[in-house]
Amino acid sequence: MSREPTNHELIVEKHTRNLRDGYHVWSHDKTDVERALGDYRWTGEMILGTYYQAEHGRPPDNGLEYRVGASGGGFDVLDFNWLPEEKWLAETEGVDVSISLNRRGKGREITIPIPIYGGGMSFGSISEQVMLARAIAAKKWSTFFSTGEGGYPSSLVPFKDHIITQVATGMFGVREETIQHAPIVEFKYAQGAKPGLGGHLLGDKATSSVAALRESVPWVSLFSPFPFHSVYSVEDHRKHVDWIKTTNPEALVSVKVSTPTDVDMVAVGSYFAGANIIHLDGSYGGTGAAPEIAKKNIAMPIEFAVPKVHKYLLGENIRDEVVLMASGGIRSADDIAKIVALGADGAVMGTSELVALGCTRCSNCERGRGCPFGLTTTDLLLSEFVSPEWGAERISNLYQSYEFQLKDILRKLGLSSIRELRGRKDLLVYRGNGRK
Amino acid sequence: MAKHKTDYVRYHIHTETANEIKRWPTRFRVKVKKAGLAKWLLKEVLEHGLGNRREVVLSRPCLYGVFSGPVGGFAPRPQHCVGCLRCTTEYPEMVSVTHNPERKKLGDSFFASSFIDALSYESLEGVIPVKGAGYRGKFGGEGWEGMWTDMSEIVRPTRDGIHGREFISTVVDIGYRPNYLQFDEEGHLVGAEPKLISIPLPVLFDVPPKNDQSEKAARIIAKAAAELETLAVLPITMICRIGLVGKHIVPLVKAGEEELLSNLGYIPDLVEMESWDAHLAESILRWYPESILSLRLTFPVREEILDYVQKGISTFHLLADYHGQDVEGNFVLDLIRETHKTLVEAGIRQEVTLVGSGGIITAEHIPKAILCGLDAAAVDTPVMAALQADFIGECKQREFSQFSLPAKLTIEWGVQRLMNLAAAWRDQLLEISGAMGLREIRRMRGEMGRAMFMKELEADAFAGVAGYE
Ligand code: SF4
Ligand code: SF4
Repeated sequence: MSREPTNHELIVEKHTRNLRDGYHVWSHDKTDVERALGDYRWTGEMILGTYYQAEHGRPPDNGLEYRVGASGGGFDVLDFNWLPEEKWLAETEGVDVSISLNRRGKGREITIPIPIYGGGMSFGSISEQVMLARAIAAKKWSTFFSTGEGGYPSSLVPFKDHIITQVATGMFGVREETIQHAPIVEFKYAQGAKPGLGGHLLGDKATSSVAALRESVPWVSLFSPFPFHSVYSVEDHRKHVDWIKTTNPEALVSVKVSTPTDVDMVAVGSYFAGANIIHLDGSYGGTGAAPEIAKKNIAMPIEFAVPKVHKYLLGENIRDEVVLMASGGIRSADDIAKIVALGADGAVMGTSELVALGCTRCSNCERGRGCPFGLTTTDLLLSEFVSPEWGAERISNLYQSYEFQLKDILRKLGLSSIRELRGRKDLLVYRGNGRK
Repeated sequence: MAKHKTDYVRYHIHTETANEIKRWPTRFRVKVKKAGLAKWLLKEVLEHGLGNRREVVLSRPCLYGVFSGPVGGFAPRPQHCVGCLRCTTEYPEMVSVTHNPERKKLGDSFFASSFIDALSYESLEGVIPVKGAGYRGKFGGEGWEGMWTDMSEIVRPTRDGIHGREFISTVVDIGYRPNYLQFDEEGHLVGAEPKLISIPLPVLFDVPPKNDQSEKAARIIAKAAAELETLAVLPITMICRIGLVGKHIVPLVKAGEEELLSNLGYIPDLVEMESWDAHLAESILRWYPESILSLRLTFPVREEILDYVQKGISTFHLLADYHGQDVEGNFVLDLIRETHKTLVEAGIRQEVTLVGSGGIITAEHIPKAILCGLDAAAVDTPVMAALQADFIGECKQREFSQFSLPAKLTIEWGVQRLMNLAAAWRDQLLEISGAMGLREIRRMRGEMGRAMFMKELEADAFAGVAGYE
């Protein structure tokens, strides 16, 4: 005998259905309706275009401008220096968008079939359902996603081969077994949205399960200090890397840093400390709550940091030994290709995954019960709006669309591999002359 | 172990909610089609009934109370709307949420409504605006917008963690500080001695705009300055007329007003001259030899500053218009750098204090202006915005700008708004300096190596991109 649904279940069912219908309607026939959606970086059309890709696995064909925003700088004033049509490669099929995550010539070989993986969003700052959705999608695409600080719940253990375990300054959720599980361990020195400011998980989000993983007290705010209190130098940093390599000799090490004036020196230091991946997180991105003053003003945007680091690593003759991953305001397949042309190997995505799941970029993540769409919240009812399977499908579709577009871009530039695009600034065109 | 007795008291700004006294247009407009809503309600009732499923029927999309008034969605309360768009995503045919164009009209072309939004949030409770989902604005831009501050991956001012536990000093000095002290053979100090005052924040209050030099505004600024232990510049005529007293009140004096000097009922820390006048300077120093003398100069300020230093002035209050420009349209950022550089090249930067006003309107402008070379900023139009004054048209020229303060303005409320604002700005200054690894704001002054400018970064990054050069 089937049981009567509870009111809770009916409420979840009602809103979930409405929301999913809404994402469809908005990104299809209601694209020109005036609404308070979007901003200079993520325009309304770009958000809707991402919804569309998350639904269909291909770019929109209804006129939405999904490739660039309206920020008036950075990615938004760059375009591609297309070859004449007769010189385009014939097929996207023969185009390779895979990248290697270990170029040291020793240790574990890891290649991902698309030049992207998911950036750190911690359990507590996002729901378990969203975390699971990211995990399933990462597995499907044989790529990775980062846990952010705070470990991960046991429901994610089956996906451990696709999880980048983050070690951040609060050391929350860092345990021997999670390090031993991890194919990649990420040291977060700083993050672009709040460079130099550490982290803060509001008490409201530190539920019992979040607190259990972090070995803290439920409902009490948690601060991750800044910086690592055991690191004063590259040598200290090297000790960190050694510690991970001792616990898990097979793990690749990624070092996530922000973009200060001397970001090039920081990158070189990370290389000498033994990092496999240098992950630069530019100032304009981020998903978590951060002081507005920090997001806008501290550290440089990723579009400026990547070429600086790429050039410096080339000069030091070590560029081919490290993988340079970029994040912080990379919103579309075009942005991914542009940052590679500026010198990165690949991109780390965060916000666009949340947009695929219905984020409107309203910035209310920390208000009251958390995200009203069930994304950045631990509220029991709200987080049920996103089922892991539905979410995984949406993220996976977005990746599929990115893959298609990246191959198409390469084909039109006459390149058969994304690795050939790295540092090819000559394949970009500047469109900001009105502004300069 | 002997106990050390100390009179040290950590600087504290008392914050307290100071709700808006005037209703500004809401940020969003929320419209609900009444007929659609009635139809939808009916459908829900038919589907679930009103018995124990009432909770399901009444479950609304808005978490913020917009549809929680007595008649729900039939009379939405847009003042609670935070623009999440969940309602319109769920019910695209029935609900629309748009930006309110009336809200966008607040302020003027320089003091945009986004700055007013930030400022009103800060002066409401004295806390830092914190939001999720990354940066939403334009990429860099002109003036302050095209400048970023540095951070350090491993250096922190102290290792005590953040959030109030570590100590970063925001104290700045105003006045004269000799490059070095000189002693005679017997060890007695000879030559110039320092003549300085210290204020706990690099923020002062400048004279209210000409059209609003009301008694109330003056009293608010004076009292807020006293509470914050900083300085408020007010016309000497106003000070004498309403009988303000307090060393933190800086009389602004012009030639011909010498006789008013004797009417001040106190010894001010600082006296400011509207423009250079030898006789006025002499009178001020005669009446108040212990006070620091400051001279207002209008940007651009180049070599002439060195002549005034020769004349014995060590504190300068540099003025741009309210949009941060000089008469030629140069922006205050470059103007400050230019004056700072002039003093550095003359080898006397250390001896001189630069206070600046005009175009410094939001928290981030304070550290940026200090990095460019100011010691402190004297804020002007932000005071008006915190007090919920309306900007009447474009408020650019100091002499002609028109502001209208709310009728319900009270001194107590106004003072609290300014204290909240100062607390929020101080905390943001701490964030910036903490990220840079600086233990005191004094070390930030002129540290151009810790600033990044869009023009230079872009030229470096986009060199080699077709069409850039
Ligand atoms: S609260 Fe808004 S910005 Fe934050 S995740 Fe949810 S929809 Fe996105
Ligand atoms: S946009 Fe969000 S806050 Fe505004 S009325 Fe709709 S649900 Fe409520």
